[in-house]
Amino acid sequence: MSRTGVSGEGGQGVGRFGHAELPSRQAAALKKAKRLEVITLVFMASAIALVAATMGSSQAMKTAWIEDMLALVPPLAFLVAVRRARKRPTADHPYGFHRSTAIGHLTASVALLTVGLALMYDAGTGLVRAEHPPIGTTHLLGQTFWSGWLMIGAMVYTGVGPFILGRLKLPLAEELHDKVLYADADMQKADWMTAAGTIVGVLGIGIGLWWADSGAALLISASIVRDGWRNLRHASSALMDERARTYDDKHPHPLTRDVDAALQRLAWVGDSRSRVRDQGHVFHVEAFVQPVGDAPSLDQLEDAVEALRDLDWKVNDVVVMPVRDLPDTIPDPRAGQDESK
Amino acid sequence: MTRREGRGSGPASTRRAVLAIGVGLLLGGCGLTIPTDPDGTLDQVRSSGTLRVGASPRTGWVELDGERAPGGREPQLVEGFAEHLGADVEWTVAGEEHLVTMLEDGELDLAVGGFTDANLWVDKVGLTRPYAEVVVDGSTEAHVMMVPMGENALQSELERWLDENKNGGGS
Repeated sequence: MSRTGVSGEGGQGVGRFGHAELPSRQAAALKKAKRLEVITLVFMASAIALVAATMGSSQAMKTAWIEDMLALVPPLAFLVAVRRARKRPTADHPYGFHRSTAIGHLTASVALLTVGLALMYDAGTGLVRAEHPPIGTTHLLGQTFWSGWLMIGAMVYTGVGPFILGRLKLPLAEELHDKVLYADADMQKADWMTAAGTIVGVLGIGIGLWWADSGAALLISASIVRDGWRNLRHASSALMDERARTYDDKHPHPLTRDVDAALQRLAWVGDSRSRVRDQGHVFHVEAFVQPVGDAPSLDQLEDAVEALRDLDWKVNDVVVMPVRDLPDTIPDPRAGQDESK
Repeated sequence: MTRREGRGSGPASTRRAVLAIGVGLLLGGCGLTIPTDPDGTLDQVRSSGTLRVGASPRTGWVELDGERAPGGREPQLVEGFAEHLGADVEWTVAGEEHLVTMLEDGELDLAVGGFTDANLWVDKVGLTRPYAEVVVDGSTEAHVMMVPMGENALQSELERWLDENKNGGGS
């Protein structure tokens, strides 16, 4: 017995992923997330222009500039992915296009990891070679002043945007169960931390500590590499049909347990075993149920599917299969349930 | 194998470390001027009363005439800058590459030789902001002087002085 819940009305098509209609909260979150990503793209473009104008020969500023360009990747990945994910299943794509999210997540995590590694390499070689960064003066409007102040100003500007935008995106990532948005929030964190590090570094250079900039960058790069690596690992393992995890990939998703619990609450069900994978936003559920007595009726099976779909808007594509014995090819989901990888 | 993610702890500890560096810089910064030379070149020049300058010949910019001190547009500017710092110039005449090595080794404070901002030593020495532009064969040459890499107080002081004196001292 299978159902993928086609809503009869067809809907406006604004708030849906494939056949999964979004509840109003999620539809609003999606709209807001799209708007935030467009704002991010516009802001980052302005930051790229500003940093290009002030970077001079500073290697640190050059790295910040490359980073700002890579920061465009996650918002673009998000906008492309949600656009694709909306499409209804076709004959060629019977599962729909939800996996576009996983590809977006993979793309965004590679960008994040690249930013971290580039910064780490740059800072590391700077320290090893004991490079003394030259920061001279700027002549502007008849005034001569130390260029460091200009760089700090530029970094305050480029840091403030990501600081605010990243914070606004995190709750939306949870609401929509969107991992591209989550990786993007990590990218924004990388951005503002790098900006803060550069400010500290330039001030350090100002008082004669040549290693300050590279030192601060190295510390920050370690955190970015860790975030990038974690996102990359989970994005790849989600593509390998890992059991569904929470939006931040910290834990197995509670719904993976709730599915069996809901089935076992039904009077006619003796035992059940299910597989829940994250297709991107929505989950694909295959549940095998062992009836207590005779084979269940079609009504009973339909009720079981309904019970699962009532758990959460993410549970949409559901297959419930009555079996004589639970398949031993599927490992017990409780094994390693607490393992948070 | 259980490994805790500790998403909160990582960035937080980094943030703390950055904050610690920041506070350290602020405390250490009391009574210091910005910018300051990591190797104290500018202070050294002022206290010793000697500006060690390397010169490499280029017609019009640095002219050599036997045993006499280098002449031409740039040596004149350098003498003026040394006077501004209360120092005398100690000249070293050598080829460009040798001058760069000496700057790297901290044996020179400044080098002139009709260098432009398109020169190839940019990752070994500090270049001043261009202080003069000349059109040669239809393309613009932006002229710079060389200072030890990252000696930002000296570089800033020189750039500032050149802004004010490039026309008076040089022509």
